[in-house]
Parts: sequence; structure tokens; C-alpha cells
Amino acid sequence: MYNDTSENEARVRRNWNVLIFLAGTVIVFTVILFKLFSLQYLHYEENFQRSENNRLRRIELIADRGYIYDRNGKVLVRNRPSYQIALQALEMPRKKAARDSIFKKLLNIRDAAGVRLFDSLSLDTAFQRIRWVRTRPVRILEDATMEQVAVIEEHSTELPGVSVIIESRREYPYGTLASHVLGYTSEISEEQLKLPEYESYSQGDRVGQKGLEQEYDKEFRGKNGLKLVEVNASGREVRTLTDVGGFIAPEPGLHMVSTIDLKLQKAAEAAIPDSAKGALVAIDPRNGEILAMVSSPRLDPNIFSLKRRERNKGWAHVALDSMRPLTNRAISGVYPPASIFKLVTSGAGLESGIISETKYYPKACTGGYQYGARYQRCWGVHGNLNVVHALRLSCDVYFYQAGLEIDMARINEFARRFGYGEQLLGVDIPGERAGWLPDSASFNRRNKRLGWRWARGLILNLSIGQGQMVTPLQQAVFIGSLATNKGVYRPHFMKELQDAEGNVVRRYEPEIIRPGTMKPETHRVLLNAMDSVVNHPGGTGKKGAVPGIRVGGKTGSGEWKKGQKTHAWFAAVAPLEDPQIAVAVIVEAGGGGGSVAAPIVHKVLMAFFGKEEEEQQ
Amino acid sequence: MSTDRIQDKSLKFDWFFIAVTLTLMTFGVFLVYSATVGEELAVYDTHWFRQIIYFLTGIAIAVGLVFVKIDWLKRAAVPSYVIALVLLLFVLIFAGDVKGAGRWIDLKVIKLQPSEFAKIAYLITISYWLSKHPVSLHKLKTFLVPLGLFIVPFLLVLKQPDLSTALVFTAVTLVGFFFAGLTFTDLFLIVSPVLSVLFSHSQSMVLQVLWGVLICLVVFSVLRRHLSKKLSGVIIATNILAGYASSMVWNMLEPHQQKRVNTFLDPMSDPLGDGYQVLQSLTAIGSGGIGGKGFGNGSQTNLSFLPEEHTDFIFSVLGEQFGFVGCAAVLVLFTLFLWRASSICKTNDDPFVTLVTMGACTIFLFHITVNIAMTIGLMPVTGLPLPFLSYGGSFALVCMFLVGLLMCLRYQGNK
Repeated sequence: MYNDTSENEARVRRNWNVLIFLAGTVIVFTVILFKLFSLQYLHYEENFQRSENNRLRRIELIADRGYIYDRNGKVLVRNRPSYQIALQALEMPRKKAARDSIFKKLLNIRDAAGVRLFDSLSLDTAFQRIRWVRTRPVRILEDATMEQVAVIEEHSTELPGVSVIIESRREYPYGTLASHVLGYTSEISEEQLKLPEYESYSQGDRVGQKGLEQEYDKEFRGKNGLKLVEVNASGREVRTLTDVGGFIAPEPGLHMVSTIDLKLQKAAEAAIPDSAKGALVAIDPRNGEILAMVSSPRLDPNIFSLKRRERNKGWAHVALDSMRPLTNRAISGVYPPASIFKLVTSGAGLESGIISETKYYPKACTGGYQYGARYQRCWGVHGNLNVVHALRLSCDVYFYQAGLEIDMARINEFARRFGYGEQLLGVDIPGERAGWLPDSASFNRRNKRLGWRWARGLILNLSIGQGQMVTPLQQAVFIGSLATNKGVYRPHFMKELQDAEGNVVRRYEPEIIRPGTMKPETHRVLLNAMDSVVNHPGGTGKKGAVPGIRVGGKTGSGEWKKGQKTHAWFAAVAPLEDPQIAVAVIVEAGGGGGSVAAPIVHKVLMAFFGKEEEEQQ
Repeated sequence: MSTDRIQDKSLKFDWFFIAVTLTLMTFGVFLVYSATVGEELAVYDTHWFRQIIYFLTGIAIAVGLVFVKIDWLKRAAVPSYVIALVLLLFVLIFAGDVKGAGRWIDLKVIKLQPSEFAKIAYLITISYWLSKHPVSLHKLKTFLVPLGLFIVPFLLVLKQPDLSTALVFTAVTLVGFFFAGLTFTDLFLIVSPVLSVLFSHSQSMVLQVLWGVLICLVVFSVLRRHLSKKLSGVIIATNILAGYASSMVWNMLEPHQQKRVNTFLDPMSDPLGDGYQVLQSLTAIGSGGIGGKGFGNGSQTNLSFLPEEHTDFIFSVLGEQFGFVGCAAVLVLFTLFLWRASSICKTNDDPFVTLVTMGACTIFLFHITVNIAMTIGLMPVTGLPLPFLSYGGSFALVCMFLVGLLMCLRYQGNK
């Protein structure tokens, strides 16, 4: 295109264009110079004054974290004021010598008892940190007492850059009560800051950890405000620049009305001693509201609101405990369902018509059952039984035969229909673990490494609930929905969220997550059986009975290790004619379900139906 | 070969150009030192020392580039463009894994910023194409390939999202068109719809009138350039549509979205957000006065709470400590730099040389203007650093690469 004849012409044009480019540059730079002249000459005085005397600071106003109430409006979690003594990098002198003198003064400050307020190590760390953390205060004394605050205020003139900040911290008035459900708050960790779900958080934020505090953190935390203030030379606020839009009020977080029933929770906590490992779940089967949840041993979430040294001590205590108090056993503990699963085997049999109320198996219980070369024992000698008797006495031999006839596919289908299985129930606190219902395919897959293969003989164990994995929550959900026959509702803790004025912002809509229905005939037989387990004089669960209320239930004693006591299970639902509450209890290595777990359920049900007072009268 | 080619061997290197560059770099190190003084770190960890290392590395790269033949550059055009696109796609796909990683490839040893590499690759590629295929508004087909070359990296960078870098690509393209056949009027016609949007989005009377003037100018220019009827119609219609559509879209926006746009265009309307930094920056620069507060005296009063003072707001440090005189001196140095750089065009008749030279000048000018205008509150707050003065390894290397490219064009062209 640029051929020889037009070469000269092109050259001239190019040179002109370069000139235009340079002219444009000069014009742009001139505009900049004019603006600079205006700033640095015409408005010099005011800018200089502003830089010397009035300094602007942006201060974050932390929003109030929302409270958690029980279903009757009693406070479960609230906030308390907490005084922090902090270094403000911007108010600190920049010279090293001046800083060192402040360091020494702080080190020498003692309270009335003559104890130093600060230790040199953490103070030194803080002084290192303010070189980098310039806009945020760096705490040197957390959760200071009023006396300590007074001592610092006394010396405030000699300590530029040392200030007292009022923060609000979480308080759990009932201590360990429902600690696994509520969770706790702590400063956000480095690892969390890197996760996408914490994108809107910044360093130093307090964030919910575990339980409801974590799950609903975004709702509880609200929205922080900001204000633009002018400070004088010694760093004190002179005024807030409200007129130029320098004030954004914080929006307080939402309050939660939870489904927890404080009275019931207290009774449940009292029924399980802290020395036992175990869990309890009480749920309303009509809508999935969890009325009480206990995991033992417990921890006190208040330790996370304390000052660092005490918090670390408390943390080390719970984290290193071999009883693992940090685990919420009610949703994260997986156990064999034990004999409670016999309800599933029966249900599947009745539903498919393979067994019926009048069917007896040819082989009576003589204390065991011969299957091929193997002799499977029963825990007693029960004779010839039908399904209701077999459930009442929890006879293994009956279910060995029934299980072989019904087959795993039907049993697992029935179990999944009522909430068991690998799919999570989706409870609204983190940490829920999935259960497991083995069949030939999944058994082979899981045990490939061990070289174990599925054999029909395994059905014997599975039909009495040895070999599956379930959580205590699944047990409660199962027995509840079995009694209602109206579907499995998603278990949840959140009833409604309210704003600061008490208006309801969001309500939890109960949601059916599994079909949870069966034939009326099956329903009738199973209710009958559950009734007789508790209310028949020979029933295994008669210690769970409540006078005047028709309680139904099923015991379980889960074998988990040879030579150890069994896990004690008891699941109950009441009243059978109109189920309002379903409870499942496990005591790890507690012994027999009827003797250990049933009395715990009894206490909880007594509290629920208000029988406790009557008893005392 | 033409006769008036500069044969003077001494001009193989433009020593004046090199001196100006080195002066600016030295200035930069001092400013970074002053902005970050009091770090109390080991020397090799301080910002100013690292900046020196970056510059020394950059100088080594620049010297190496001098020995690259212009033909090699042309041959590298297409492959480097393809590599740049692949890298941009890579960060786009793997973005979001880690917070804020949308623009970087982390090789553990160093962090690569593909959009910086893409600037250079795109500059060479578009220059190579335009040097062989001039463009003209009378032959719209000529725009097909260059616009295609432009739009892909533009969208990829925009998606990161990095609007300011995407605009660097736009500026390079427009200046490229200017040196490949378009007139000033043509450029005006291309940019006019954007101006229409800007003028008509607000309710202000003055701007509305200005928009009217703009439309008249567009009509006048179209007639003067004797464009085809179809194209004239399209340009005028686009302008009018852009004007009306922008106010319609504006009214459809939610109030908080309107607020976000307004804060971007005018940071001072949000003194708690971006406006806070600009406010601090204005105070710092203004308090410098004519002569400045002196080296090392500024940071303790005002700038200690500008979080980006050693990178994006380095000009505020300059303004506070060296005053109007210092600012003017730096602007003069930048002018000299651009003047000497653009003079390379005259040493060689190859349009490729002209296009690369002016493209590089555009990249520099765009960064300088947008960055300084931001610190004095004339433009929105974007993340573009100031060449040679701002702290930052990636950008320092890009600047020195461009300087090396310019030196190469002069040296190789005069052999």
C-alpha cells in the first residue's frame, strides 16, 4: 500500500500525526498543571491547614449481632459489652525512641494488686504488628476489667496511640446448654478468609463458628456502618462529618427465634450426665422442628469470648480431650441403628405382604438360629412369635428369618422412605454426616480394600440393625415420621428471623424431604408394636413409659466392639394417637437400651408433658 | 532505501532519551523510599530496594531487546498474540479459586499477570497487521481483521474485570488507526457515540446542550468526510440512539446502581469509599504548595493513611513533598520522554516502526494521564499505576520492556 510514489506524502502525513499526538499530550498535561496550580497555590492555605490540624479518620461501626431465642422467647444467646485496650498505629509517634518509651510505660503499668497489665511478649508482638496494620486498632488487652480500663484512662495523656475500645461480645447465659447447637464466635481465621464464602469478611471480624452461629452468620452479623470523623492532633474525635455523607449507620443483625424449647432442653441436659458420651434429639415430627438436642460431653462457648490467654487454655482443654467434646454427636456421630432398625424390617415386610400380624415363622427362638455353617445367637429364648411380639421382645431369630425372606432391597427402600440412608437430612447446622445402608453393591465397593465380599448371610445382621450407619438425628426423624405416617419433614432449628423492631423477616417453611408414608394396615401394626414395647409389662422399653400418655418406642443395644458394653439406644414417640414429639437417645457403651437409654427418654417426655410438677406434688 | 535516513552512528542510541528514563526511575525509587519509610525491615525486603531490583532487571531486558532484529519482532507477532490469549483464557477459567486471583497466574516463584503481557503482544500484533493493511472509513472491510484482533483480548480483560486495562487496549487501537490511515475527524466519529452516552446520561442542562453541539459536529464531520450514505446514516443514528438509550437505561437502573455509577464517575460523592482516598490525596498534594514540604517530610502527616500511597497514589507523595515545582518537573520529564520516543518514527519509513512506537507512547501517555488525573480528582479511581514512579514489579518490567522495544527500533533501524 505504501508504494514509492506516495512515500514522501506518507512521510509528511506521519510527521504531522506525530505532532498532533504530541500537541494532545501537551494539552492534557497543561490541564493537569492548571488543576495542580489551583490545589497547590490558590487553595494552598486551606489544604495546608487541613493537613496540619484536622485529620480525617474512617471508623467502622460494628453492627450488633442478632440474639438467639428459644421457641417461647427466652434468650439463649445475647451480647455483652467488652472493653479492649488497643494500639492505634496512626496516633503513635513514628520515631522508634518515642515508641520504645510508650512500650516501657505500658510494661510498668500495674493494677491495684500490683500485677502487670501486659506481658512483654504479647506487647512486643503488638508493637511489631502496628507497622503493618495501620488503619485498624491492634488489641493489646482483650476483655479488660473496669479497673484495668480506669488505670489506662488515668495515664492516657502519657500514652498517645493507646485507646480503650468498646466492643460487644457473645454471651451464653446458660453456659454449656445446647452448646453444640448454638456454636460460638471467634475472630475469623486466615484459612477462612481465603474461602469464597467469606469474601465479604475482613481480618479481625468476629464470625460464627459451628452451630447456628456459623450457619446463620450472615443473618446475625448485620451490616457494619462507617463514619468519617475529624480528629485533632492528639487523636481525639472532634466531629463527625455527617453533612457531607460521612455517616452510614450500622444495620443490626437479625434475631432468631429457634425451635429449641428451653425447658425441654434443660431436662434433656440434666438427664445425660457430662461424664457419659452420648446424644439426644427431640423433634416435632409434624413439622421437623427440633425441640432439644444434646451432645455429651459439652463445652462452654463462653470461653471463646474471653481474653486470649484464658481462651487458649480453654481451647486446649476441649481440643485435646479424648472424649472429643467438640463433636456434635447428635448429627456427626454415626452408629449402628441396632434393634430400632427392626421396625424397618417389619415395615418392609408388612408393606410387601411377606409378613403379617398373624404370620409365624417355622423356626421358634431357642436362643439362636442356624444359617448354613453359622450359628447366630439371639439375646434370649423367646419361643414362637408374630411380628408384634417379636418387636416387643426384640427377638433376633424372628428377624433373621424375616430379613432373609424380605431381602435387602425392600428393607433399604423402606428405610430410605423414612429418612435413613446416605442422603443428608439437611439440618440447618453444619457438620451433619451421612448414614449408610449397605446392599451387595455398596458393601463390596466399601470393603474392596479389605477383600470382603457380600454374602447372603450378612442379611442376618443387617435385618437386626447391625452393620448400617445412622445418626441419632436420623433415628428421631425416623421414629417420628413412622408414627405420623404423613411424610418426613426436614429437621431444623430456625423458626423465624426478626429484625431489631421485632418484625418477622423470614419464617421457616416446613418441607417434606422423603415420602414417609405407608399402608394404613402397616401403620396400625407398627403403632401397636411400638405401644407394646413400652406399655406391655414384658416390653423391653417399659422404663420409657409416662403415666397418662400413650408412648411408643423401640429399644436398641448396638454392638460395636467385642468385649465392650453395647451402645444403649432408645427411640420413642408420643402420644401415639397424635404424635407431638419424637425422641432418640444414645449412650455410647452404656449397656442395654431398655435399662440405660429408656429412663432418659422418660425424663424428657415427663418434662414435655408437664408431668414433672405433678410427680413432685 | 531513502536518502534522508539518519546515518549518524551516534544516533543509534538516543542518549537523551535514556537519560530522561533513568532520571524518572531514580525519582521513582526516592518516592517509593519516602512513601514507605519507617518500615524497619531488612534492606533486601524494603520496597525501595525491591524497586531497584525490578528496575535493574528491566534495564537488563531492555539492553537485551536492543539486539533483536525488527524482522524477528514481526515474526513473533502472531505467536505472542496467541500465547497472550491462551494465558488470558487460563486466568479467566481458573479465576475465583482463590480470592482476588482473577488476574494472576501464580507460578510460586513469580506471579504472572497475563494482561500486562497481552498489552505488549497486542501492540506488536496490531501494528504488524496495520502496517500491511491501512484502514479507511470508505472501505469498511479494512476494519474487520483489526477489530477482530482487538475485541477478543478486550473482552477477556474486561471480564476479569479490569476496565482500565481494557481501555489501554482501546487507546492503542485508536492511535493505531490514526497512524494507519484514519484522520482526526474519523477518530472523532468513531468515539462520538461514547461521548453521546456520557453527555446525555445526566439531567444537567449544560451537558444536554453540549450533546446538541456534539450531534451538530457529528453531522458536519460526516458531510465533510464524504462518507457513504449508509455509513453516515448509521453514525448519526447511533449517536442519537446512544443519547436517548443512555438516559432511558439510566432511568431504568435501581437507585443503588445509579449511585455506584455516580461514585465511579465522581468519587467525591462518596467520601466514605473511593472519595476518602481522593480527599486525602487532594489534601496531601495541596498542602505541598509551590515548593513542597521537603523530601521525607510528607508521609508522617497525611499520607500514612493512604493505603496505596507507594503504588497508585505515588503522585500524591510527589505533590506533598516536592510541591508544584516537583510535579511540573515530572510532567516536563514525561513530555520529553514522549517527544524523544515519538521521534523514532522519523528514523525509519517502515510503517511497522511508526505504529509500534506510537502505540508504546500511547500506553505510556494513557497510564500517566489516568493515574495523575485520578490523584487530583479529575478522573475515576482506577488501578492504573504511574510509569517509572509507582512501586510494582510487573508494571516496572512492562515499562522497561517497552523502553527496550523503542531503543531496539531506533538501533536496528539505523544499522
